Amino acid sequence: MSTQPEFPMESPLLSDQTRGVRSKPRPVASWREHHGWSAGSSLRRLMSRPVGTLLTVAVMAIALALPLTFYLLLGNLQKMGDALGQNQTISVFLQPGQGGSAADLMARKLRDHSDVASVTVKTPAQGMDELAKMQGFSGALHTLDNNPLPFVLEVLPTPGASADSVDRLVADMRDMQGVDQVQDSGTWRQRLEALLGVGKRAVLVLAVLLAVAVLLVVGNTVRVDIASRSEEIGVLMLVGASRAFVRRPYLYAGIWYGLFAGVLAAGFAVAVELALADPVARLGKVYAGKLQVDVLPPWLLAAVPVAAAVLGWLGARLVSAWQLRKAA
Amino acid sequence: MCSPLRPEPAAANSHKAPDLLASIPYPCGIRDWGCAVIRFDQVSKRYEGGHEALSQLSFEVAAGEMAFVTGHSGAGKSTLLKLLGLIERQSHGVITLDGQNLSKVGRAGIPKLRRRLGMVFQDHRLLMDRTVAANVELPLMIGGMAPAERNKRVRAALEKVGLLAYERQLPATLSAGEQQRVGIARAIVAKPMLLIADEPTGNLDPSLAVEIMDLFAEFQQVGTTVLIASHDLPLIKKMKKRVIVLDHGRLVADVAAQEVL
Ligand SMILES: Nc1ncnc2c1ncn2[C@@H]1O[C@H](COP(=O)(O)OP(=O)(O)OP(=O)(O)O)[C@@H](O)[C@H]1O
Ligand SMILES: [Mg+2]
Repeated sequence: MSTQPEFPMESPLLSDQTRGVRSKPRPVASWREHHGWSAGSSLRRLMSRPVGTLLTVAVMAIALALPLTFYLLLGNLQKMGDALGQNQTISVFLQPGQGGSAADLMARKLRDHSDVASVTVKTPAQGMDELAKMQGFSGALHTLDNNPLPFVLEVLPTPGASADSVDRLVADMRDMQGVDQVQDSGTWRQRLEALLGVGKRAVLVLAVLLAVAVLLVVGNTVRVDIASRSEEIGVLMLVGASRAFVRRPYLYAGIWYGLFAGVLAAGFAVAVELALADPVARLGKVYAGKLQVDVLPPWLLAAVPVAAAVLGWLGARLVSAWQLRKAA
Repeated sequence: MCSPLRPEPAAANSHKAPDLLASIPYPCGIRDWGCAVIRFDQVSKRYEGGHEALSQLSFEVAAGEMAFVTGHSGAGKSTLLKLLGLIERQSHGVITLDGQNLSKVGRAGIPKLRRRLGMVFQDHRLLMDRTVAANVELPLMIGGMAPAERNKRVRAALEKVGLLAYERQLPATLSAGEQQRVGIARAIVAKPMLLIADEPTGNLDPSLAVEIMDLFAEFQQVGTTVLIASHDLPLIKKMKKRVIVLDHGRLVADVAAQEVL
């Protein structure tokens, strides 16, 4: 065996003037490179176990889709309430002594009200005719000598008037002189409105809770991932990897989980929209004539994957910080 | 700080060695042999709840020197190397590595320091799901070297350990000796100032062990300081390098290369 070293001095391993890794500092390029590598390798890692990844993503997507779906349903209920509220008429029964001129005067006064769209005066004779058309009454009515019905004002609120303002209108009319009774066919709207208020608050709480759930799911998945790769992490640290370097692929994994779950959740929401479109349209035909399903705004659909990716990153970050704190 | 000791390669090896050495930049930047790369000053290590694994250890290893650390099982060989790699911290005393006091190196400084070391482990610590080349590339990637340069260095390192043909294979398909050589390639690919190896020949047959040790000696000849823990006395004797002997954590003998029989 020759005692002379066999390797040539021009070998790249030995020829450099300086020792160490860097021939020239290139922090930005290498940083970008490692981000690219981390993003790619973490994605490949997720793809290499498709079933596990899909399950995690599906759980997260359902958690994200739930508040979205409720939000969508509430929006549609609100819209239906508004649409059906357009047919809401308020019947103002005048006191028996009030004649036609008093009724006309009142109608004119009411038409000036900002929340009133139209007022029709129904004479006792018209009322009798309407009653007569209803089955079973005609015979009984003919036995009456004179018409006992009062004048009635049919008031139609402005379309889109809020349930509150309609409520105020009804109270105003009750206080008018010569009014016997006010019958509001739309009290259900106030109740619906109150329910929707509760629902909106509930969706907000649900969204926060489920966001936490998404955070936990990502966190736990990354935790298991890190635990199963503790040996690799140990090796990386031994050859000089910083914590940030070791952590980066896991942060990207969190981002991927979030992004995929967000896209899937947005897909779920669109599917719900499509499923709702038909029944809502049918309902619309029965009531308002034209009613379209209320769709989620595109910005919200686009924001869901972004927000989910941020959640995924956050979950991975919290867990990895906690788990790598003892690694050295 | 610098000992007058002139290292053995020039003395013990061929006439070619001196001008070979002259062309090599020294890690500590001083073109003079004997500049201490490693310095232990009254270093003790007590593991939590354990007894003293190292006590009052003082020695120096010069730049470009190759030394063995030996002793019975539990003597503190691995502990000594772990202190150098900041895998463990000493309880007392001062360790200086290339002029840097290791006690002053904080958590953030550990990766930076390790990038200047090459560490070889008995169980080689390869990543089994990455190719041989990817394993060797790790320190360069961590150091942020450009891909083209990285590739060149990886190939050179693999060629050096005679495994260039295996670069695309997974480590599991290699023999124990080959895996150990991949570990060595990974340790030297970033051209560390100091190469430390803990029982690098622990589970290899004797002829393979000699081959591996020769490889370390070659790196020493190009200026790398090499520190190897081993309890294989026959092999150590064969290498004719400095030997530091530990016994229950104490330095009991420090035999210069020339005196190894
Ligand atoms: N992590 C630890 N915690 C507690 N005690 C430890 C730890 N590591 C080593 N020791 C103890 O320190 C002493 C020195 O251990 P070390 O591993 O350095 O010995 P060694 O010389 O490398 O032995 P071997 O030849 O068997 O590898 C031993 O008594 C050991 O039991
Ligand atoms: Mg040991």
